[in-house]
Amino acid sequence: MARFRRLLLAALGLLVLGAALEALYLDRLVVRQFEGRRWTLPAQVYAAPLELYAGLALPLPELEKELQRLHYRRADQPDRPGTYRLQGEHIDVALRPARFADELRPAQLLTISGGAGGIAGLRDSGGHEVPVLRLEPLLIGSIFPIHGEDRIVVTPAEVPPLLPQALKAVEDRKFDTHHGVDPLAMLRAAWVNLRAGQIEQGGSTLTQQLVRSYFLSSRQTLARKLREAVMAMALDAHFTKSDLMNAYINEIFLGQDGNRAIHGFGLASQFYFGKPLAELDLAEVSLLVAIVRGPSFYDPRRHPERALARRNLVLRELTEQGVIARADATEAARRPLGVSARPAGAYYPAYLDFVRRTLRRDYREQDLTEAGLRVYTSLEPRAQEQAERALEHELARLDKLRKNPGAPLEGAVVVTAPQSGEVIAIVGGRDVGYDGFDRALDAHRAMGSLVKPFIYLTALESGRYTAATVVQDAPVDVKLVNGRHWKPENFTRQVYGPVPVVRALAESLNLATVGVGLDLGLAKVTQTLLRFGLPQPPAQVPAMLLGAIDVTPLEVAQLFNGLANGGFRNPLRAVRAVVSADDKPLKAFPLQVTPIASPEAMYELNRMLVLVMDHGTGRAAHALLPAQLVVAGKSGTSSDFRDSWFAGFSGTHLAVVWVGYDDDEPTGFTGSAGALPIWARIMSGLGTASWSAPMPESLAEVHIEYPTGLRVVPGCSQDIVAVAVPGDATLPVRPGCGFPDTPTPTNAAAANTLIERAQQWLRGVSH
Amino acid sequence: MRRGAALRQARPRTRALRAPGTALLAALTLAACALQGPLPPQPQGVSGASRPGNTQPPPPAAGQAPAAPAERPAAPPPRQFHLSPATSSLVAQAQRQAAEGNFAQAEATLERALRIEPDNPLVWSELGRVHLAEGDAAQADAMGRKALSLATGDPAAQSAAWRLIADSLRARGRNEEAAEAERRGASLAPR
Repeated sequence: MARFRRLLLAALGLLVLGAALEALYLDRLVVRQFEGRRWTLPAQVYAAPLELYAGLALPLPELEKELQRLHYRRADQPDRPGTYRLQGEHIDVALRPARFADELRPAQLLTISGGAGGIAGLRDSGGHEVPVLRLEPLLIGSIFPIHGEDRIVVTPAEVPPLLPQALKAVEDRKFDTHHGVDPLAMLRAAWVNLRAGQIEQGGSTLTQQLVRSYFLSSRQTLARKLREAVMAMALDAHFTKSDLMNAYINEIFLGQDGNRAIHGFGLASQFYFGKPLAELDLAEVSLLVAIVRGPSFYDPRRHPERALARRNLVLRELTEQGVIARADATEAARRPLGVSARPAGAYYPAYLDFVRRTLRRDYREQDLTEAGLRVYTSLEPRAQEQAERALEHELARLDKLRKNPGAPLEGAVVVTAPQSGEVIAIVGGRDVGYDGFDRALDAHRAMGSLVKPFIYLTALESGRYTAATVVQDAPVDVKLVNGRHWKPENFTRQVYGPVPVVRALAESLNLATVGVGLDLGLAKVTQTLLRFGLPQPPAQVPAMLLGAIDVTPLEVAQLFNGLANGGFRNPLRAVRAVVSADDKPLKAFPLQVTPIASPEAMYELNRMLVLVMDHGTGRAAHALLPAQLVVAGKSGTSSDFRDSWFAGFSGTHLAVVWVGYDDDEPTGFTGSAGALPIWARIMSGLGTASWSAPMPESLAEVHIEYPTGLRVVPGCSQDIVAVAVPGDATLPVRPGCGFPDTPTPTNAAAANTLIERAQQWLRGVSH
Repeated sequence: MRRGAALRQARPRTRALRAPGTALLAALTLAACALQGPLPPQPQGVSGASRPGNTQPPPPAAGQAPAAPAERPAAPPPRQFHLSPATSSLVAQAQRQAAEGNFAQAEATLERALRIEPDNPLVWSELGRVHLAEGDAAQADAMGRKALSLATGDPAAQSAAWRLIADSLRARGRNEEAAEAERRGASLAPR
C-alpha cells in the first residue's frame, strides 16, 4: 500500500513535472511568437501620387473624384483628416498624413483654387502659396504569401479609442482585470453550449482568441483548450494589456477575398471601407466588431442583412454598457452599412503582376510577403481605368461585328509615359479583375507591320533614304535557303509602283518595305530592333521584314517607347522605389536614358508616323481624338488577321493595344479595325498633350506631293504633305509647280555638317 | 492630365500643313488639355513665340530673290525655356538635397519635376548634373544629349546642355571631345 502510494506520488510528481515542463514550453513558445516577428507583413503596393500644382489641367470636379478615390469625405467643416469642403471655386482639404518614398508629410490643411479648366493655385492654412504638393498615393494591393495572410499593421495612435472599448464590451468584458482567461465566462459559455447542444458562445478572452490565431487552429478539443488557456495566462503574465490589445487589433481574421485572408483591423478598414482605421465612425467601428464573431457568416458584402442586424446588436450592447450614448447609437443604427462596392487592393492584377516580377529580381519571396516593405509604383489609376473601360467597351462592340461568334475576343493594353519610361497602366485581358493569364506580359504574338518604323529608321540612318525618297513597290520573289520562294503581297493585293517612303510607311505597303529592308540587309534592321530593346534577335528570314517576330505587348511598348522618346531608350519601369517598414529607402529604380538613334533620323521618322495618323492607316482615329491633338503611330496586322495591333504616342503618352484570340485563330480585323479604336479611345481620355518635338536644326521641312514624292510649293497640288528631310537633301521638283529649274533649296552651310554631327553623335553614343 | 499642363500647339489649319512643330500661333494658344479647354495662367515652358519647324515658308527676306524660297528660317525664331513655379521649387529642393550629398533623393525630386514638365531641357540638364556629381558621367552625358534634343531654338538651354556634355566627357578623360562640346556651348550662350 505504501509502495502504491509512493508510486502514485511519483507518478503524480512526474505528471506535475511534465505539466510544468509543458507549461514552460508553451510559455516560451507563445512569448517567442509574440516578441519575435509578431506579424508577417505583406509588401504594400501604392499607385503614383497625384501631384497638384498651379497650372495642372485638372478641373475641380475631376479633382473631387480623385479625392473620393482616396475616400475623402465631403464635410461642412473639413476639420478631420480625410475630409474636404467644396466652396465655389475652392476646395479646402484636410489632408491625411502621408508616407512617400522620400518624405513623410504630416496632416495639413490645403486650399485649392480652381480656374477655367484647371488648378489656379494652392495655399496652406496660413494663406501661403504652395508651389507643388502630392496627394497621398492610393493603396492598390499587397504581395501576400502563399497561405494568403494579408494585413496592414496599425500603431495604437492610429486606432480610434472606441475600437478597444467596443471589443472589450462585446468580446471580453473583464479584459482589463483577468489573467488571460475568464473562468466564469468559460463556465457560462459551457452551460449555454451544453443546453443548446452546440457551440453558441465562445467564452474565450481576447487573449485566448489571440493565441488561437497565432497557432492557426480552431479545433475545439479539451486538450487544445487547456493549452490555449495556459498560453493565454503566459501572455498575460509577460505583457501589458495595451500590448495585447494592440496585438489583437492587428492579428485577428476579419474576412476573405479569394485566396487572400484579411487580417487586422487596419486592413479590414481598407478592405470594407477603403479608408484608414482612424477615420471610421461609430457605425463603421461597430460593423468591424460585429464581423469578428464570424467573418464569413457576417460578411457584409454577401450577407448584408445579417451583418446589419449584428452591427445593431453591437450598438445596443455598447449602449447598455455605457460605452456610448443612446442617441448616438440610435443615430448610428439608422445608417446603412457603408461598405465599398469593390474591396480595396487587387484591383489591377496585370499591373501588380508586372510589379511582382520586377521585385522578384531583387527580393526573396519571403522579404516581399513578410518584411512590411512599401512599394511605390507609377500606376495612374485614372489611366488604368480609362484603358480598362476602352478595352471592355470596344471588344464588346467588335464581338458583335464578327460573323462567327465563338470564343470571345481578347485584348491587352500597355500605357507608358515615354520620357520617363514609366508604365502607368497595364490591362492583361478583357476580364480586368481576373488574376489569370496576363496577355500584356505573356502573350507572344507576331508583331506584323509594327516592325516597319524600325526598317525605315534604319533606312534614314543609313543616309541613303529620306522621307521623300521614291522607292519601288514592286513584286518581290526571294529564293529561300530551303529552295522555296517567298512572294509576299500587299494587303490590297495591288502593286503601287514608285512611291515616296512617307507613303509606303503611311499606307503600310509590304512590297515597298520589303524592298527597302532587303536593300539595307536583315542584319542592319535587326541591330536597330535590338538597340530599341527587342530581347532576342529574330530569325533571319525575309519574313521578319513583315513582322514575323513574336513579341509581347509589353515588349512592343519598350520598342515604341524609344520612338516616342525621340531616340532615347529607358528600361520600362513600374516600380519607383521600395521602402522598409521603418521608412528606410531600400531600392530606387531611377530614370536612366540611353541615346540609341540619331536625333535627325528619329525626328524624320516621327514626322512620318504623324502622317500615318493624318493620311494613312491611322486616320480613323481622329474621329475619336480631340481635334487639335497631334499624335503619331503605326498599325499592325499579322498574317491571316491573327493579331490586330496599334502602337502610337502623343507628346506625353504611349499606348500599345493588341487584339486577338488566345488560340491564335484569325480575327478578321486589321490593326486599324480592331486595335485602333481602342487606342484612340484610351488616348482621348488621358488628357494627353500633342507630340511636338522640336525639329533638329540640320533638317528642313519640305512639301511634297503625297502620291509622287515630287517637291512642290504649298497650294500647287491637290495632295501635299510636309515632311522633314536633311537640310542638304536635293529633291526632284514637280515641273511648273512654283520652283525655278534648279532643284537646290539647300542650305550650303549645313550641307556637310549633318554628316559630321551624326558621326559625332554616334561616337558619343558608342562610348 | 497632369502631363498635359505643358504647352500645347494648335493644330495647323490645312491638311497639308497638319504637322507638329508648327507654331507661332501655337505656344500662345496653350490648351493644356484639349478636353478641358485652355487654362488661364500660362504656367511654364516655352515663352514667346515659336518652336522651329514652322511649316509655313517664311516670307522672303528683304533683298532676296523671291524665286529662291528658303524652306526653313535662316535662324530659327528664338525661344526661351524657363521653369514653372512648381518645377522651380522642386529643382531648388533637389539642389539642396544634392548639396547635402543626398543624390538619390535629389534624383527622385527631379523626376517629380520631369513628370510635370517632361519636355523641359533645363530639368533634364539638372538631373544630368546630379548624376555627374554622383560620379555617373555616362548617364550625365546621356541626359545632356536628351536635354540638347529638346532645347532646339533656345541658345541658353542648348548651351547648358553642351556644358553638361563637356563636363561628362571630361570626367571620363575624353578631353578633346570635351573641349569641342565646351566650344559649342560657349558659342551659343552670351557670356
